Amino acid sequence: MPLHSVPDTRSETPALPAELERPQLLEIYRYLRLTRTLEERLVALYRQSKVIGGLFRSLGQEGESVASAYALDRGRHRDVLSPLIRNLGSMLVMGAKPIEILRQYMAKADSPTHGRELNVHFNDLERGYLGQISHLGDMVPVMAGITLTFKLRGEPRVGLVYVGDGATSTGTFHEGLNFAAVQHCPLVVIGEYNHWAYTTPPEKQFAVKDLADKAKGYGVHAVTVDGNDVIAVHTATKHAVERARRGKGVHFIEVKTYRRKGHAEHDDQSYQPKDEIERWARDNDPVDRFIKLLRENGWAEELELAEIDRAAKEEIDQATDACVNEPLPLPETALPGVYAHPEAAPRLWFRGL
Amino acid sequence: MPEITFLEALRQGLWEEMERDDRVFMLGEDIGAYGGAFKVTDGFQKKFGAARVIDTPISEAAIVGAAAGAAHMGMRPVAEMQFIDFISCAYDMLTNYVATARYRAGLSTPMVVRGPCGGYVRGGPFHSQNPEAAFFHTPGLKIVYPSTARDAKGLIKASIRDEDPVIYLEHKWLYRRIKETLPEGEEILTPIGQARIARDGKDLSIITYGATVWKALEAADQLAKEDGLSVEIVDLRTLLPLDDDAIMATVKKTNKVLIVHEDTRTGGLAGEIAARINEQAFEWLDGPIARVTAHDVPLPYAPTLEDFVLPQTEDIVKAARWLAGY
Amino acid sequence: MARIDVLMPQMGESIAEGTLSKWLKKLGDQVKRDEPLFEISTDKVDAEIPAPVAGTLAEIKVQEGQTVPVQTLVAVLETEQGAAVPASAPAPASPATKPEPVAAAAAPVPRPASLVPRPPSPVLPKGDGAETAEERLRRRSTPLVRKIASEHQLDISRIPGTGFAGRVTKQDILGFIERGVPAAPTPGTRPLAPAGPIQHPAAEPWPGDRVEPWSKIRRITADHMIMSRRVSAHVASFFEIDYSRVAQLRAAHKQSYADRGVNLTFLAFIAKACAETLRAHPVVNAAVSGDSTIYRRDVNIGIAVALDWGLIVPVIRHADELSLLGMARAINDLGERARTKKLSPDDIQRGTFTITNPGGFGPYAGIPIINQPQVAILGVGAIEKRPKVITGPEGGDAIAIRTMGMLTMSYDHRVVDGVDADRFLADVKKVLQEFPEGAV
Repeated sequence: MPLHSVPDTRSETPALPAELERPQLLEIYRYLRLTRTLEERLVALYRQSKVIGGLFRSLGQEGESVASAYALDRGRHRDVLSPLIRNLGSMLVMGAKPIEILRQYMAKADSPTHGRELNVHFNDLERGYLGQISHLGDMVPVMAGITLTFKLRGEPRVGLVYVGDGATSTGTFHEGLNFAAVQHCPLVVIGEYNHWAYTTPPEKQFAVKDLADKAKGYGVHAVTVDGNDVIAVHTATKHAVERARRGKGVHFIEVKTYRRKGHAEHDDQSYQPKDEIERWARDNDPVDRFIKLLRENGWAEELELAEIDRAAKEEIDQATDACVNEPLPLPETALPGVYAHPEAAPRLWFRGL
Repeated sequence: MPEITFLEALRQGLWEEMERDDRVFMLGEDIGAYGGAFKVTDGFQKKFGAARVIDTPISEAAIVGAAAGAAHMGMRPVAEMQFIDFISCAYDMLTNYVATARYRAGLSTPMVVRGPCGGYVRGGPFHSQNPEAAFFHTPGLKIVYPSTARDAKGLIKASIRDEDPVIYLEHKWLYRRIKETLPEGEEILTPIGQARIARDGKDLSIITYGATVWKALEAADQLAKEDGLSVEIVDLRTLLPLDDDAIMATVKKTNKVLIVHEDTRTGGLAGEIAARINEQAFEWLDGPIARVTAHDVPLPYAPTLEDFVLPQTEDIVKAARWLAGY
Repeated sequence: MARIDVLMPQMGESIAEGTLSKWLKKLGDQVKRDEPLFEISTDKVDAEIPAPVAGTLAEIKVQEGQTVPVQTLVAVLETEQGAAVPASAPAPASPATKPEPVAAAAAPVPRPASLVPRPPSPVLPKGDGAETAEERLRRRSTPLVRKIASEHQLDISRIPGTGFAGRVTKQDILGFIERGVPAAPTPGTRPLAPAGPIQHPAAEPWPGDRVEPWSKIRRITADHMIMSRRVSAHVASFFEIDYSRVAQLRAAHKQSYADRGVNLTFLAFIAKACAETLRAHPVVNAAVSGDSTIYRRDVNIGIAVALDWGLIVPVIRHADELSLLGMARAINDLGERARTKKLSPDDIQRGTFTITNPGGFGPYAGIPIINQPQVAILGVGAIEKRPKVITGPEGGDAIAIRTMGMLTMSYDHRVVDGVDADRFLADVKKVLQEFPEGAV
């Protein structure tokens, strides 16, 4: 299968990345490393029957997740993003803690959803992230509503939502994007062209060349960037976020990238050409490319990066040790919380026999 | 004869219909080259070609709508929902368009919408649903829900041959757990609208369908051993239209009814079944019609929570024991 | 030293089993945390399974090529440190050991542990106030049992029940029929009161006394009165009636009635007033049967007649369909036939309400005993002129001479409440005090 649609933007890497200082570059690197290390730990925990249900990797997509989120105004009650299963990195950037992710994947009682929801399906609207549901595209209209509120209240806040290439086939994506465009919502949409929607390649998913073409059809300002170029994604997002903040409406950024693992860990990737995966891994890994950039420009020392790697591993080890043997939720805690009132669903009669 | 799984039986049924009738074609997400998320259509594209085994975009509304259009034109489409939880994205097409087509416009819409449903697999709120109640309320649709390998095969074939749209629900917990020896090459056709007696009994009846048929069977074994109770189990197989004759026959035989389903209680099928028994066999009741269902909450992910919310074998045992002693 | 279990993972929602395709470590090998131990193959994917902890491979439970269900124990690792840790999901949190964590972030889902689930909702409904659900169940059982009971003319309350709260189950009633237990008498013939003879205590006769054994009618009366006091919750209510208008009408029409061979008595007016009023107060015109109330369709008023040899209560059938003349004539007629022993058995049956009229002998008022299975009996006190405070048209009070008398009603409080009885009596009083001229 031909490897298509990777734009030739890599040569655009700036000598001095716009608006990013050296500590920020190292911080971005830290998030990249933390994401990858955390996911590697999750794979081990999955195979050790500790992770419950499915496990979804973002290998190869950590760059765009981290770089786009890093362009947001972060802190309490600032910008808000809505991640997908492959945007673990964006959640870490927004302030989600590795231990929360670990607990969530292991359905622990103290996980953010107390065992009710899986993987990265959880929220913290104060820190600025709103978890997705499994129904793809649904978060686009929801984020339209969140950013509509920013507009109605006159708050200088921006929303960012991720959609995969597959999700751009859903009705909710189109309805939400059009709605946000008509309402001039301060919303940035990251379209992740990662080449595989589960097992479906782009040509079976859509007939346009670029996802950006779809957005343009709704009158949305749209660009396509190299998703594995951390600086390019960050620059494009920063630009879009600032424009949205200034009232210029919806922006769509298509990031061309590649999903190097299966849809989930139980997927054998038999449909993905082996050489395609290998080529992306060898030539176009976002983390490798970023390290190369840092080194070649002298923005980071070898030892600094090694220290970040070590610290990330230590952080994940400590977080794992702290929660791996935590208890699961008490059975009856399944009942409360369906409504504000009444506060718990009734326990059915046969449980009292 | 080899033992085959529920999933393999379903696969055989689809395969036989594809071979038998070239109007039959399949469409869905990842069903072609990969053979589907659960490998139900593994090998189909190779055998029947990409034109008859179509990989679609992630667009459930379009999948169902396109199937309807093809069905109007004399084709026999089989649409797969990757997980049945996503059928809600096609709710408009199914309830407004497909279900009303014959009545409203005299249009024949022979199509099947099938997909994996059900919990007990730690799938969380969006990979564990049982959507039958949402469509049960829609005249114009048929709903089948096999629990055995034999019926998995027999009902998919009958659904494809039916003149009306059929929602075919496949419990993913049964896919690889249920194994049965089926006569090879036998033309199994399970009539739509006919329930099955999964176990004969005289003291009380359990009316159920899907995965809970197996939990009811386990419970019945335990009740026979520990209590000497003779429990009859009716496996509905078809939910819409309901087999009133089979339901009333078991009520008149045992006079005590426990309705079990994995779906939540409020608005679940047990309510309708209870109402029909009340209307048609009230005078034969020797106890209240009791229900064992899931609790009225979205299905949670943690094993402790999921196990609490869903009906378990032990719940059926206790409820049946209570009803027997009533 | 701690032992750590390594399990066959479930890789995919439908995956029920996995095959151990290859061991990558040998028994006794040292392994690092997350170092691959063995390879598995499932219906969906092949994978290397890493060690959950660093340690020694101490036990191998599944051999290469073996297929086992997911969550099966595959191997055991021994570690140098820590306590034994099961590989399976840990037990649920215990609220006692888990203090509320101070959340760094706002938890999006309400903390559920603090909420105590409610007790299970009972299947059995609450009673309706008159009886508990259990009592109702004992009496009514289920539709099936009622149907069988009705087909075999059985009284459910007479069948021993072994079901919930003593309910008669299908097996109970079918067994009852099969054992050939004689069917209970049908409602028309079964005794309407608790069975068993009434024992009247003995008394010592003194010298000169005369001991006379009871006649049949005395015996029946005696038994019936005791039975009635025993089964009914007797309550009495007293109303004072101003009969002045009735007296006036009676005086005016007495002769014309006499010309037609009828003696127009106060009792005729009273019976007429009751007959008219009973239909509007069905609970007074009723009977108790077991634990049911029978509301009578007909209004049949019994009039107690004292005879030299005892009491008898002939019944005026369809009393509400009689004019005052008809009522007066019926009272005369029944009284006459009673005294001449010409009553037929039909004449003393099917009463729905009884009036006893000892007033002619002068009592101010009395408290009668209910004639079972009826629920009320009216006693008529002496009617005579008495001083009565009346209020004139200008509002001034004066003492006037009026024809007055007491009406007393005993009623069965099991089914008739005070308010029912008093409303009935108030209506009777109103009819008597405002008796229409045209009705005479």
